[in-house]
Amino acid sequence: MTALTRTSGFTSVPRGLTILVTAAAVLAPLLLILYQSFLSAPFFDAKKTIGIGAYQFIFADPDFWQASLNSVVIATCMVIIALPLGALLAFVMERTDLPAKRWIEPLILVPSFVSPMVLAFGFVVAAGPVGFYTVWATELFGGAPWGIYSLTSIGVIAGLLHVPNVYVYASAALKSLGSDVEEAARVAGASPFRVAATVSLPLIMPALLFAAVLVFFLGFELFGLPLVLGDPEGHLVLSTYLYKLTNKLGVPSYHLMAAVAICIVAVTFPLVLLQRFLLQNARKYATIKGKAGRMRELPLGQWKWVAAALIATWLFVGVIVPLTGIALRAFVTNWGYGAKLAEVLTLEHFQSVFDEPILVRAIWNTVLIGTVGGAIAVACYCAIGFATHRRNDGWSRFVDYLVLVPRAIPGLLAGLAFLWVFLFFPPLQPLRTTIFSMWLAYTVVWLAYGMRLISSSLMQVSTELEEAARTVGANRGQVSRQITLPLIRHGLIASWLLVFMIFEREYSTGVYLLAPGTEVIGAQLVSLWQGGAIDVVAALSFVNVVLVGIGLAIALRFGVKLRD
Amino acid sequence: MFRPYLSLALALFATVALAQTVPAGYPADYAQTIAAANKEGKVVVYSALDTKAAQPLIKDFNALYPNIKVEYSDLNSTELYNRFIAESASGQGSADVMWSSAMDLQVKLVDDGQALAYLSPEASKLPGWAVYKNQAYGTTYEPAVFIYNKRLVTGDEIPQDHTAFAKLITTKADKFKGKVTTYDIEKSGVGFMFAVQDTKFFPGMKELEQGFGASSYRVYGSTGNMLEKVSSGEHLLGYNVLGSYALVRAKKDPALGVVLPKDYTLVLSRVLFIGKQAKNPNAAKLWTDYILSQRGQKLIGSDVELFSIRNDVDAEYTAASLTKQLGPNNVKPIPVSAELVTYLDQKKRLDFLSAWKATLAAGAAGK
Repeated sequence: MTALTRTSGFTSVPRGLTILVTAAAVLAPLLLILYQSFLSAPFFDAKKTIGIGAYQFIFADPDFWQASLNSVVIATCMVIIALPLGALLAFVMERTDLPAKRWIEPLILVPSFVSPMVLAFGFVVAAGPVGFYTVWATELFGGAPWGIYSLTSIGVIAGLLHVPNVYVYASAALKSLGSDVEEAARVAGASPFRVAATVSLPLIMPALLFAAVLVFFLGFELFGLPLVLGDPEGHLVLSTYLYKLTNKLGVPSYHLMAAVAICIVAVTFPLVLLQRFLLQNARKYATIKGKAGRMRELPLGQWKWVAAALIATWLFVGVIVPLTGIALRAFVTNWGYGAKLAEVLTLEHFQSVFDEPILVRAIWNTVLIGTVGGAIAVACYCAIGFATHRRNDGWSRFVDYLVLVPRAIPGLLAGLAFLWVFLFFPPLQPLRTTIFSMWLAYTVVWLAYGMRLISSSLMQVSTELEEAARTVGANRGQVSRQITLPLIRHGLIASWLLVFMIFEREYSTGVYLLAPGTEVIGAQLVSLWQGGAIDVVAALSFVNVVLVGIGLAIALRFGVKLRD
Repeated sequence: MFRPYLSLALALFATVALAQTVPAGYPADYAQTIAAANKEGKVVVYSALDTKAAQPLIKDFNALYPNIKVEYSDLNSTELYNRFIAESASGQGSADVMWSSAMDLQVKLVDDGQALAYLSPEASKLPGWAVYKNQAYGTTYEPAVFIYNKRLVTGDEIPQDHTAFAKLITTKADKFKGKVTTYDIEKSGVGFMFAVQDTKFFPGMKELEQGFGASSYRVYGSTGNMLEKVSSGEHLLGYNVLGSYALVRAKKDPALGVVLPKDYTLVLSRVLFIGKQAKNPNAAKLWTDYILSQRGQKLIGSDVELFSIRNDVDAEYTAASLTKQLGPNNVKPIPVSAELVTYLDQKKRLDFLSAWKATLAAGAAGK
């Protein structure tokens, strides 16, 4: 045992190199953003001066404060909605005899794999003032009692879409909890709902707290939804305010954007650290679990239908409405009041997508970055995982924190910083207009997510096998290659599929890296949406959903657990 | 056996090609430019016009100069500028040709010394206001128009000039509340430029702005969004929409109507220049001359569905047809001039924006 933990510092060249490359890839963009925020002009401009003018400007701008307030409101709204729903959903799925659970589980996770940009656009065409569903409702009932452009609506929609994030943590926590206390409550006559509210959910409080922080934090990073839904009434959040600064002064104001980004990081990084702290606490908590007896499902009885109806409603609003909206819009020439569906059907939009070499390349690149890029990303995550696996030294702790950093930077700005790195760091210059630039940014932005997948695989390998190999004289590299790696190969394949879907879904990171040669669907959607080529946006969104769907189908076919 | 014939054919082809490609009226040494351009073999064009729309031009240019590959990238006009300055600063070379509807940013780049001085042989065929320092050229003649939803706005309601537009949204406030749209001048450079021009030509601009405020108008960063929302009926009226895009969509969209304002119509001209660091300067010159030539302009006025800036072009969309339709005094092209960069000054821009917002708020409070 001591042999495994004794060493500290760079004990091997591959390990040192891995840590060094990771640190460079993570810190270079962040430091560049920090530096840029203290300048008066783009950092490559000869006329730049150092100062705090950028911060003075944004702090004096009422829009900044309004956007901050809106971000807080939306994030709070999300927590209020996603937390109880996600927790209840987890309880119903883990603890009760709800029918068809096997089918419902993947559906629940769908919102976390579809691009928010696509979903937001789907909401506009489906439930906007003249959306398909709004028009149908108006024809049937004479009015539609909803609006999707107000700040609260954005918060509610975002909340509904983040239910899966709470669900995965709550259900994982419930799994590790014995069901005997619940049965006791049930025997004493409590209703299923009462069992949930007074017994099960309080027991998993640490996990719920963790999920709440996560959702609040994701609320701060929200970009696609407020970009699309906040536009008509002019609601800004921090990320869209940042995006707006691209043009507010007529010329790009990188220093202002960087200053906003630093403000966002100032909020999100403490949240990330808090999450980490909570997670460690939650693990401690999990040891006080009830006796690990056989789990017995609580009979829902009459409540079965209530639960089923609730889940169905949520799925309908959060998944089916926007996705059918997208699907319909992709096949019609125009829509709204007075448009007859049969007259406006067309395949033209798909034809324009496939006639356009750039868009074809975007689709091809997106597939490539998900499959090949996803595999290489998993390999990188794996290398970093091995660099810290079973080593409890300072470098491991450094890497632990390091991988959390990109999580705190909004993808939009991370992408911009990577563009700068590729422009001004000579060895990388030739790679800028290749898909490699996009891949590197994606891989770094999703570092924390990927590392979680890898480390949960690594955790499952017990130490005995590795120690046995060490005892017979294998060195660390041999152990990794011949023992650990083969043991986690299924976990790696599962991670690959999940990373594939995440890469298909990503959109904000690529916005500034978009160049001839690096087109990907996600970023292309943002650009096309800004440019207003709505027909193409719909068709391309549809293609994107299909790609994610294929990934999901394969994952389910091979029984990949859709969560870490 | 075939060799001599082949080389003969090649030689013949080369002479013919050379003879064909020096356009009439061009200086004799243009042949050298063509030869040098052929050697360069490609031209990198950054443009705000999407690739699909530009395809006819690229094809035709290739028919003319088969050895020069056009590497065309479309980006939105702000991105175009960002990319160009970043790439230029990194010393890696950027676009050979910059072609953008953000007239102000293009002029700024010229003023910042980023453009190559090149007097196009076609320059004399352009209106004087479209040639800037013999470096940048206005290439199109695109009107700013009103759009409306044909199903929901009909007959006398359709505003024919700026005064009618302002009157309509203030007198029928109930119908148009939340249903009027224009560019977000904080997000769209083109929208900002149009707004500045409007304050010059339209005495009732203040009332119009107050009308916008009173009707809680909706703003967007892009033309396509406005077209989509007016077509669907989510909004009913659009103000200052780039006409070239609106007319293209209106052709196949039965719900979308377009009005060229009768009192005056602002006209935007896409500005083109050759980058100072261009790696393919000769090919860039050929592209510039081609875009300005009668042949290129004819395509711009027809298949590309922008408006040709030249008066000697016979096509559907031309400066001439627009002038004829509206009367020579009612067309107000925005000159490619140093004046355009006035509002790139941070303070002036912010002052304009806050005055604009104050007027909107006053309008909103008044109702």
